[in-house]
Amino acid sequence: MHGFRNILQEHKGFGKQIFLLAKNELIKTYKGAVIGPLWAVVKPAFTVFVYWFAFSVGIKQLKSVNVNLGGPEPFSIDFFTFMFIGIIPWFFILDSIVQGAKTLRVNRQFITKVKFPVSTILTYTSLSRLFVHLLLAFILYIYVFFSIGPSLYNLQFFLYCPLMYIFFLALSWSTAPMSAFSKDFESLIVSVMSGVFWLSGIMYDTYSFDEPLKTVMMFNPINFFVNGYRNCFLYHRAFFSYKTELVIFIAEFAAVFALGVYNYNRLRKKLPDVL
Amino acid sequence: MSETIISFKNVSKTYILYKNDRERFKALFFKPLHMKTNRALNDVSFEISRGESVGIVGDNGAGKSTLLKMITGVAFPDEGEIIVNGKVAALLELTAGFSMEMTGRENIYLKGYILGLEDEYIKEIEEKIIDFAELGDYIDQPVRTYSSGMKMRLGFAINVNIEPDVLVVDEALAVGDASFKKKCKSKIKEIITAGTTVLYVSHSADSVKEICPRAIYLRKGTVIHDGPTPETLKIYQDYKASQKKK
Repeated sequence: MHGFRNILQEHKGFGKQIFLLAKNELIKTYKGAVIGPLWAVVKPAFTVFVYWFAFSVGIKQLKSVNVNLGGPEPFSIDFFTFMFIGIIPWFFILDSIVQGAKTLRVNRQFITKVKFPVSTILTYTSLSRLFVHLLLAFILYIYVFFSIGPSLYNLQFFLYCPLMYIFFLALSWSTAPMSAFSKDFESLIVSVMSGVFWLSGIMYDTYSFDEPLKTVMMFNPINFFVNGYRNCFLYHRAFFSYKTELVIFIAEFAAVFALGVYNYNRLRKKLPDVL
Repeated sequence: MSETIISFKNVSKTYILYKNDRERFKALFFKPLHMKTNRALNDVSFEISRGESVGIVGDNGAGKSTLLKMITGVAFPDEGEIIVNGKVAALLELTAGFSMEMTGRENIYLKGYILGLEDEYIKEIEEKIIDFAELGDYIDQPVRTYSSGMKMRLGFAINVNIEPDVLVVDEALAVGDASFKKKCKSKIKEIITAGTTVLYVSHSADSVKEICPRAIYLRKGTVIHDGPTPETLKIYQDYKASQKKK
């Protein structure tokens, strides 16, 4: 608890600066390009196209996905819609984990040269990623609005999205100082993440697996958010529909949060020496 | 006795020298054993009162930079306690610590917030800083477009205009062309005569004598002498002379 207070203390009175720094983070990413901020859309759009092409046109088998939500019969959903809704949170998650781990090393001038509330670096960089995500989510919603139609369940976005932000921010309290300490740790994360996509339920439905694999997949927090977005926009289900999934996630959230606070406080004072 | 503004109590700091990257990776999960270490500061204690000017002398690697980094709040001790009461302005690495995409003006605010200043106060000193830095219209351009001289000027201007309680100065400070250098020197003098606590780090005996009545001599992380400047300098120079003979 004391450690979490340290992190909060660093944020106190710094809110406006966090927004400003997040904005500048975006400018830094997209300046100098002719279409500038459009890249934030073009890149994911191309990725979506590639996956759709490979699976629906190339392999031909995958025009639709069978989803089993525990009802009497699994039902079939257009592959593009299924994948599109799942991949939007994935883009945020991938960036949050990979870039989040690198953040402190990249921004070392704020750690080794001046006194700076170090944990806010993680907050504003991930906030800049959230802005991009909100833009993509908006585009997604336009698609959902016309292809599936609006629903009250859509509002659960305002639960999942902030939760996703906090979860991966808390994760970076561990990974960022550790990556700053050891480049090997950073490389480990980058390597693992390149495969995690296929282990998560973005291209396929994890609920359709037989037990025990179905429950095992619930331990991947990425699935919680990917399926969560589908709960909002596609399945029109409440976030507590799968009790096991929710309980596992809450336990993981608590663990990630506690570990994050612990690791951040353990390594914070050593950071200026190792960077 | 006047109020203590900086106090070091038995402060020690040890840098761990990792043999290779594997050791570093291991240290993330296990407590490092049998590591080579470098004791940068060893049981350092002293107190500095408000308004005092203190010089810090010593050879390279004596621990001067580590000491200053601790006062400015960048580095932290392993053991002991450090108390600093008040705003610290550091004239050490002036070009560092800017957010490159922000304009000069926005960086003034950023720096101000880090130091815990209020909006109103920053607004008050904003013009003073811009004037001093001689940046003109550039103040609303992103800092990445600045020349290194401009960055230094801005860094210097911010630090001296926040009305610091403690000013940390490294003598090896470079601030651009001769005329600006002169301006800086006179500004530092002005701050000193205004009664700000100054910590002055230098290799050269003469400049320390000129500015500080008291000096601390560090050797290999240990305080060898702490007293009136002429006395400290004599010990420092005697030691250097004896080293040369060998």
